[in-house]
Amino acid sequence: MKEYEFIEHTADIGIRVYGKSLEDLFKNAANALFDIILDYPSKQLKQKQITLGADTVEDLFVIWLNELISCFFADKFLPADYSIKIEDSSQRKQLRASLCGQDFDPYENKINTEVKAATYHNVKIEKSEKGYKVEVIFDV
Amino acid sequence: MWHGPLEKITDYKFRIPKSYQPGMRVDGIIYADEKLLQGIKKDKAPQQVANVAFLPGIVNNSFAMPDIHWGYGFPIGGVAATDPDNGGVISPGGVGFDINCGIRLVKTNLEEKDVKDRVTNLINSLYQKIPSGVGSKGELRISKEEEKRLLVNGAGWAVRKGLGVDADLEFCAEGGAIDGADPDSVSDRAYERGKHQAGTLGSGNHFVEVQVIENIFDREAAEKLGLFIGQITVMIHTGSRGFGYQVCDDYVRIMVQCLSKYGINLPDRQLACAPINSPEAKRYIGAMRAAANYAWANRQVLTHRVRESFERVFDKSWQTLGMDLIYDVAHNIAKFEKHVVNGKEKMLCIHRKGATRAFGPGHPDLPLKYQEIGQPVIIPGDMGTASYLLLGTEQAKETFYSTCHGAGRVKSRHEALRTVNLETLITELNNKGIQVRATGKKTIVEEAPSAYKNIDDVVDVVHKAGLSKKVCRIRPLCVLKG
Repeated sequence: MKEYEFIEHTADIGIRVYGKSLEDLFKNAANALFDIILDYPSKQLKQKQITLGADTVEDLFVIWLNELISCFFADKFLPADYSIKIEDSSQRKQLRASLCGQDFDPYENKINTEVKAATYHNVKIEKSEKGYKVEVIFDV
Repeated sequence: MWHGPLEKITDYKFRIPKSYQPGMRVDGIIYADEKLLQGIKKDKAPQQVANVAFLPGIVNNSFAMPDIHWGYGFPIGGVAATDPDNGGVISPGGVGFDINCGIRLVKTNLEEKDVKDRVTNLINSLYQKIPSGVGSKGELRISKEEEKRLLVNGAGWAVRKGLGVDADLEFCAEGGAIDGADPDSVSDRAYERGKHQAGTLGSGNHFVEVQVIENIFDREAAEKLGLFIGQITVMIHTGSRGFGYQVCDDYVRIMVQCLSKYGINLPDRQLACAPINSPEAKRYIGAMRAAANYAWANRQVLTHRVRESFERVFDKSWQTLGMDLIYDVAHNIAKFEKHVVNGKEKMLCIHRKGATRAFGPGHPDLPLKYQEIGQPVIIPGDMGTASYLLLGTEQAKETFYSTCHGAGRVKSRHEALRTVNLETLITELNNKGIQVRATGKKTIVEEAPSAYKNIDDVVDVVHKAGLSKKVCRIRPLCVLKG
């Protein structure tokens, strides 16, 4: 199963992401995001914990990506692997993630694309027999 | 592809009636001609014009300028006014991530013949002086306390650092710093991102361009602006960099949660908003203004670097070279302005997402010098064609004094990368006498002229629709991209 593919968007960058589970979907989207930002094999040198909550799984998905963007550009942390747990049965959707990665200064090292943010525009997580699918547009 | 209604009102104005979708509070109005409309209908931009019409408290219409294209939430080229006294909201998505992305035009007293043999020196000097490209880092090192002063004083902060003169502030919209910036409404992450990037160009469609005026449409206005055919000008296009992106992200997150809190139903969550009088909106407005001021400071620092580059190449002071600011104006911003609605003056919140404010003659917010002629409106085109200087008109009151902001994209970045060859593009530009420098070669291809609408078509529509009037067409000589 492919993890993601690019979709056309006039001004920005769009991706269609696939996952066997919600956790897999979130992880594949994170991998796609950092594939867009840079071409660099991150090392698993340190850990970072992320806890997020939202009213819908779609909101949680966008907040997750934006949290990773802020972690990279503000906290200068580049993740390499993710252990994600999503609780979506209660009214408030929750994500707990443990990230393995390394310190990385995007202002000192070469990166390819300065992704401004992930947007909520038309984000709809679809579930089928094959798994999960979602499209998201990044402002670049 | 758009299959909804688009009713012709005039040759340059089309309507999406509010009957198109239940929940639309006003009509959508798109300024375009039949030719541009064919392109506009190809993506989801018209649906986004309709979506904006759902915003609580929206006044008159959801407007789109002829450079409209598919954005997220608002279309790029969208204008919406909301009334604070009638449940009006403010939407961070109606401003965008690059808060106060904007443009300024600097004139010189040089002519094309003076620079013809020094264009390569100029572009090399600009490339050395101006940090550009993805993740670019400025030479300025600022502490958090210093950054707070920058957020309040905007371009004035840079001028006080010796990076400009008071006259520069007179010719910035809002004097280069909007009142009401609240540094305490800004997150630590935004401060962290901001401290690296003051005085940087960035990437994407941001640029510094040395240009020559090749055509004048309004001789009298051009004379009053001190402009003539063959004159060299410099255009600077950038915004609030990572600082603004983080402010927008912080507040979209908050406003998405406001939708249920305030019972607001919208077709796209990227339009997330809060009533203007709510605590969430007040904090956003304070932070958004801080980001706007960051952008004005940024363009002021870059202006200083441009002046230094010219001084180095021509061995004369920038004052001797006549490098005065014509004007600086935002095209991604929400501002509170007085407008007349149904015969009554009202304070409205005007969202301009890829649209330029264009006050007509006599507007009290204009510098004395422009009272008679109206506000200079700077419209950058693609790097291979041309840019324009326009003036605001009284007729633009129908769009809350708003007009277009550029050419508008037609090709995605990926399509540009697939269809444009870098070497061919650079040869084509060189054949036109245009030199390009960029940190990232990919940026040059993504920003290829064929990725944009024809700027002449876009400007003709706003001119013929009366939203602003043409003063001069300006051709690029060399372009620094990110």
